[in-house]
Amino acid sequence: MFDEPRDIVPHDELSDAERRAFAALPRELAPPPALEERTVVLLRQRGQLPIPLSTLRRGDVSRRPSWWITVAAAAAIAVFFSGLAVGQYIGMRNASIVAMATARNAQEAADRVQRTGDLYVAALASLGRLSDTANVAERDRARQTAMAALGAAAEQMAHIAPDDPLAAAVLRGLNLRNRTAGSEPPSRSVIWY
Amino acid sequence: MNAAAEAVKQDSDRVLAELVLGGDEPAFRLLYGRHTPRLYLLVLRFLGGMEADAEDVVQETWLKATERLNTFRWEASFGSWLSAIGLNVARESLRKRSRREEQWNDETDMAGPAPRDKVDPLDLERAIRKLPDGYRTVLLLHDVEGFRHEEIAEQLGISAGTSKSQLFHARRAMRASLGGYGKDDRHV
Repeated sequence: MFDEPRDIVPHDELSDAERRAFAALPRELAPPPALEERTVVLLRQRGQLPIPLSTLRRGDVSRRPSWWITVAAAAAIAVFFSGLAVGQYIGMRNASIVAMATARNAQEAADRVQRTGDLYVAALASLGRLSDTANVAERDRARQTAMAALGAAAEQMAHIAPDDPLAAAVLRGLNLRNRTAGSEPPSRSVIWY
Repeated sequence: MNAAAEAVKQDSDRVLAELVLGGDEPAFRLLYGRHTPRLYLLVLRFLGGMEADAEDVVQETWLKATERLNTFRWEASFGSWLSAIGLNVARESLRKRSRREEQWNDETDMAGPAPRDKVDPLDLERAIRKLPDGYRTVLLLHDVEGFRHEEIAEQLGISAGTSKSQLFHARRAMRASLGGYGKDDRHV
């Protein structure tokens, strides 16, 4: 860039016109305003000036690429449908548990009816074998109790299976018997299970 | 600017610089606004009017200055220190540009139109811009910025003799570019 010094440097002064011309040259020129902002941003990035919080927030948003919104929306939709699926699964599972519990209760009830009915029939059979020795009042009370139990059982059967012909026939027979009994007041019996 | 005003400004520069060291952005902007117009024009002239390069150099100068601010001992003015940094950055930019300096033919250069006793500042700017980088650097430091040859030599890492030689050839080239103005009233 620079020439080597020469042994003899000619003496050369500026003329008055040259001096005036140099003196008239401007000494300052405003740079483009954007240069200051660029410089400040670089100083912030280098940690020599603090980054304002407001700039940080704006910067975070602006630095996010446009696909970020798409990904966020897709993630939100995925979370929503995942929640929906899990909710449906849990609901179905609970319904299955309830259904299984209901079925188990119904079976237990049927078993209880079966056992009670067996015991009741066995008790009537025992009473029948003892009919010779038992007095009339005891036999009559046992018969009334058996008929009341049969009527109650037939009514329950009619609730469970309204089209069951045997239950309907039992109920018709009992009604007919009550009507033909005349003025004889029906005896009331309480059956305790 | 008188000495008192310069002292006030220097003190003010120092206060601002200490605030900048503490990360005070408004203080930096004040310091920037105070010194950049002069730095920008100086660098722009050094780079021969390349505005984009001048902006890059000014930016890099402030980055370096802020980085080295805690090492500045305030024996010179802040503006001179900043200009020295800017000059080094500008020279580095010139080296990167690898622009080949024009080879001036002295005999051809000196044969110009009739001398003039006035010169348009715009013509002078253009003539300075057309100078080879080495010539332009010394001419600007000496004739525009007012540095002595010893100071220029120290700043550029050359000898004072080289500085004088460069200035002599720079002035001849400038006069040739201007058409030989002012030769008639030159004080020899």
